[in-house]
Amino acid sequence: MTHSLHRSGPIESQKKDFNWFMYQTKGVNDVNIKPKALEFIAVAEAAGSENWGDVKSGPKTQYPVEYIKDHISDKSRLRGVFTKRDQVVDFLTQIKAKDLGLSVVITGVLEEVLPACKEAEVIPHSINYSLGVWGKTENLPDETTLSITTMCGHHMIPPKFVEHMIDQVKKGKLTEDQAAIKLCNFCYCGIFNQIRCAEIISDVVKKDK
Amino acid sequence: MTVINKDLCIGCKICQKYCTVDAFVYDKEEKKMRVDQDRCTECYVCLRQKVCPRDAIKPVELDNFYKQFQHVLSDPVENHGVTGVTGRGTEEVKTNDVSGRVKKGQVGICIDMGRPGMGVYLRDAEKVAMACAEAGVELASQVHTPLAALMPDLTTGKLVDECLGYHLLSVIVEGNCQAEELKQVLQALKKVSKEIDTVFSLGLIVRTDENGETEALSCLDELGIPQPHRGKVNVGLGKPLTLA
Repeated sequence: MTHSLHRSGPIESQKKDFNWFMYQTKGVNDVNIKPKALEFIAVAEAAGSENWGDVKSGPKTQYPVEYIKDHISDKSRLRGVFTKRDQVVDFLTQIKAKDLGLSVVITGVLEEVLPACKEAEVIPHSINYSLGVWGKTENLPDETTLSITTMCGHHMIPPKFVEHMIDQVKKGKLTEDQAAIKLCNFCYCGIFNQIRCAEIISDVVKKDK
Repeated sequence: MTVINKDLCIGCKICQKYCTVDAFVYDKEEKKMRVDQDRCTECYVCLRQKVCPRDAIKPVELDNFYKQFQHVLSDPVENHGVTGVTGRGTEEVKTNDVSGRVKKGQVGICIDMGRPGMGVYLRDAEKVAMACAEAGVELASQVHTPLAALMPDLTTGKLVDECLGYHLLSVIVEGNCQAEELKQVLQALKKVSKEIDTVFSLGLIVRTDENGETEALSCLDELGIPQPHRGKVNVGLGKPLTLA
């Protein structure tokens, strides 16, 4: 599943958007992962992960952290968000030192992620490169909507709900932070970047004023 | 499947804001909502978010294999039965440091059909899978990727006819080719992208050198395809590490 890879929006905005992943390999290192998962979470939180979650429980913006931790199983997939390159460096440095043996993936703009790897002294093994969207692109929603909906790669965020949230902020019924959290809660994986989302909404609202 | 209980529905249309594929339709004569069963992907967002103030949206038992397949692939909370993976059921680059699915000299082709957000009828996924197979892609088996369960012959990419009318939020066409075959695969994808009624997001998985670089993407310039600026980087901390 490549649900963090194909995000849209201006590059400068994407540069403030990184996803981290912890992955067990089926049949190899996928038994009793909970103790290692808890160490991953501790390192990610210490590095400043703005959001994280387990698709089996939901994101921490919607559920108590202890609830998500209690429900970790061998089927869990832990993922989260960083908003700064320094956080990625810190996270990778600490995870490498822990030597937990599970696969670690960082998704983002390559000119940010690759230097972060170098600084943390980890060596990229493989990369899934995004070659963008092909086909009937003329039927896609507008770029602002896409820059929000693509932060949930499983597309759990309906485009019409994005329009609704922006409208609510314009009318003063919600703040951009409140709207971003409501959108974030659609994404069960915890990879939605609510900080970037609030900035995108804020920019749209300012532009329309 | 998901249906509207018309005794409860008041036609307020709130549900339309919450549908990922615009499957809620307002019936002007009845002044009630209905679910376009052809478009609904059974993603269950409307059910999970409890969007209806009258609780009129109801799940009905998914009574055949294809409906269940549609739901499992469209709802990331579900685990795929064979691969055991949530989401759309494939590990692709995320565990390549351990699994070694894509080796040096190969390119993994990872085509997110229907992404972003348009959804995909399996007839369009079939067109893309067949184009890949014809261009030299060795399509992944169902041990690795769910779509193969509907593909009796991996060498052609043809899907079973019974599934072609089903609409999914997304499904991945996945396989490997040799690096020297990438150009012809991309040419085939360019051609088939004009023949489908949806979109796909394309990912190429490559074993990189220690600086995160590769020669495999040099053919992109020849084809007028921009070099990628985003990537999903497996940083090689999984064990046992495969160096193939």
